[in-house]
Amino acid sequence: MHIVLSTPIRLFVVAVLIFSLFIDGAGFVYRIANHLPLTGDVTGLPPNFGGWQLYFHKGLDLAGGTHIDYQLTNFPEGQSRSAVQQRTIQVINKRVNALGVSEPEIRGAGNNYDRITVDLAGVSAAQAQKTIGAVSKLIYTKWVPDTKVTGGPEPGYKPQLTGLTGDDISNASATIDSTGVSWVVNVSFTSRGATTFDNLTRDNVAACPGDPNTSASANCAQRHLTIWLDLTQKDIDNWEDPSYAARVSAPYDPGCLAAQTETTVCGKFLTDPITLQEIAGGNAQISGAFTQTSANDLATGINSGSLPVDLVALDVTQVSATLGAQAVKLSLAAGLLGLSIVVVFMILYYRVPGFLASLALLFYAGVVLALFKFIPVTLTLAGITGFILSVGMAVDANVLIFERFKEEVRAGRTIAAAVDAAVRRAWPAIWNSNGSTLWTCAILGFVGPSAVKGFALTLGIGVLVSLGSAIVVTHNLLAIVLISSRFRRAGLLGVDRVRTV
Amino acid sequence: MSELSDVKAEDQAADIAPDGGAKEPEPVRAPRVRRLDVIGRRNWFFALSLVIIVPGIISMATRGFLLGIDFAGGTELTVTFGNHPTLAQVEGAVDAENASGSVIQTTGGGYILRYPPLTAAQVTNVQTDLQNRLGPMTGGGPSQILEVGGTIAGETIELSLLAVAIAATGILILLSIWFRNVPGGWRAGFQFGGSAIAALLHDVFVLTGIFSILGRVFHLRLGEIDAFFVTAVLTVVGFSVHDTIVVFDRIRENLRVSQRLSFEQVVNLSIMQTAARSIITSFTVVLVLAAILIAGGPTLQGLALALMIGIVSGTYSSIFNAAPLLVVWRRLQPLR
Repeated sequence: MHIVLSTPIRLFVVAVLIFSLFIDGAGFVYRIANHLPLTGDVTGLPPNFGGWQLYFHKGLDLAGGTHIDYQLTNFPEGQSRSAVQQRTIQVINKRVNALGVSEPEIRGAGNNYDRITVDLAGVSAAQAQKTIGAVSKLIYTKWVPDTKVTGGPEPGYKPQLTGLTGDDISNASATIDSTGVSWVVNVSFTSRGATTFDNLTRDNVAACPGDPNTSASANCAQRHLTIWLDLTQKDIDNWEDPSYAARVSAPYDPGCLAAQTETTVCGKFLTDPITLQEIAGGNAQISGAFTQTSANDLATGINSGSLPVDLVALDVTQVSATLGAQAVKLSLAAGLLGLSIVVVFMILYYRVPGFLASLALLFYAGVVLALFKFIPVTLTLAGITGFILSVGMAVDANVLIFERFKEEVRAGRTIAAAVDAAVRRAWPAIWNSNGSTLWTCAILGFVGPSAVKGFALTLGIGVLVSLGSAIVVTHNLLAIVLISSRFRRAGLLGVDRVRTV
Repeated sequence: MSELSDVKAEDQAADIAPDGGAKEPEPVRAPRVRRLDVIGRRNWFFALSLVIIVPGIISMATRGFLLGIDFAGGTELTVTFGNHPTLAQVEGAVDAENASGSVIQTTGGGYILRYPPLTAAQVTNVQTDLQNRLGPMTGGGPSQILEVGGTIAGETIELSLLAVAIAATGILILLSIWFRNVPGGWRAGFQFGGSAIAALLHDVFVLTGIFSILGRVFHLRLGEIDAFFVTAVLTVVGFSVHDTIVVFDRIRENLRVSQRLSFEQVVNLSIMQTAARSIITSFTVVLVLAAILIAGGPTLQGLALALMIGIVSGTYSSIFNAAPLLVVWRRLQPLR
């Protein structure tokens, strides 16, 4: 107990307190230091001290936004799953960046690299799913004769994959074409893509030579190089079914493609231009019935690359910003109400020690909030509940000490000896009971469902700090205040009688 | 500080014989500790617990739980309409959609609409359709959309059960280690741990049983089981053991210092000495929870209620079940 009551420890407690208050009030410190108004929006916030961005990281249920868990399916053969997952995360990141979300969180999860969790603040679920699931893999096909085909853009022919896809495009941009009327997408191929494209266009022209504008014989189906979005071999295999071919050949439908399942058939057709001449050099133009928006969407989609896997949304949570703000307000109110009830109760029941414990409790709250900013802990509704609950638990250590203190005083000890004995004898109970709570928190943190993890983290931090605050802060405050004989009166200590000698 | 060092010697002497050294060992010196023979009347207290637990278990077995969206899976929209339609109007509109939706009214004048799992496109359709029928939604759309597929729902249940199982096993091991220094060694530690686990299971059954009854017998939305409820159960597990350990710690201490008392007497004395603390702490936590229940909004109310039930039960079980069970166990399997 000598160590706890030593000057270095007291200095340490004061240092921790000052540091915590500095972090808690970092925003105000910044405003005052820069002569900015104390309320309202100012630039430069959240403050940045030597690389630390100090502010409360709010979870989606408080900030508003969308959370989606994706299952990855159709992993490409022969590639490491973790690499595929990383690549998918990168693609999603690029797509999400187009939305301008602050701090998008895209994490890998799952036992077998088969999950991705996406947290986007301030974005609706529909918008998020459209952007992330946007299918933008360009597929170039040529046409091969098949007499059984009756539908589609070229009856009597079915498409064949050429191996040229959006992956062979290095850059795409939306622009207005030379006529100044319609929107087109300019694409530049990679060197491999440029060679393939050159060969394809040369073969096309060779299939029925001539000028298609003047000669009918030059206008054969083989001369068309058709562009699709996300056309698969499975689609081609079904081409002989006229209704299937018709549905796939409908203009591409981004909404349908973003939400497609195993059984839906979406329109995937983009454009079916005839090849006028061999195109070398690796630049081409995609024209179609584009608006400015759809041309931009397509260009963005091509640029951000294609997903190596299929994504299936497992669960989606969307919380509006107003609901989040309301939740913050309610939980703040609940926290303050809870804290003040505890303070009033402690002071009424335990008098001077209760008041000192309340001071320790405020110290505790200050330190925990600073830790939330410092670590940083992403605060969710469940997390805030964990914190509020830990206030109740923080009191327990004090109650254990004070009840023991009363007993020791009753047993005839002097005040000083009673304080010392109370802290020492209450310690095993405090440690064992909080230890079991910490154990539960650890299990919840590792095993529990994701909503529960935030709760476990804040409760765990709360319990750890409360241990320190009860043992070190309350004990020191008691020792300091009870040196003065004015406070050693039974009425002030909540005990029956006090041994004065 | 010097003052505190001065009393050190006296204090250490007191440590060895805290009841006053050579004086007649009078276990209850404190006049304000009322004597209540908890151990003697233990069967009454066990019976009271059963009266609460048995209906709960019957309800769980025959009716199960009212499952929240996290466990049941599906799509849930929280909406408020600008025109404030009545519950019947909203129900009519949802029925007309033929999407097998159901409606729950919330306290804030809003509605919670539940559907089987919908795709993003379907969610948009449902929203548009509702706005066509009932007028615009406040804020331009639902304030909350939750969509949980069957995979995730199953996993949440699995993870929750796994967490409870690991927590209980871990606590049993921790207690056996912590309490191995009581007379009787590891086996005594195991008895302490086992009794704590029994009290813990008592609290889990009280809590889950009451929620099963609330949700399935009284059909209250408050009795819904979701991820927050799992949080509550696990917190109660921690808290219950927390309370029990405080009593057991006192038993351990008293076993060492008052060797002239019988085991029953030591346990009863320890219960009396710690009862004030247990009740005060629980009372404080209950106050905090009452604050959440009043001010915390609908999302947190179920959680606050669950924690409140669990904590009251935890306090009861630590005083009236855990320690008496220890006595029963000690009788069946005496340690010397």
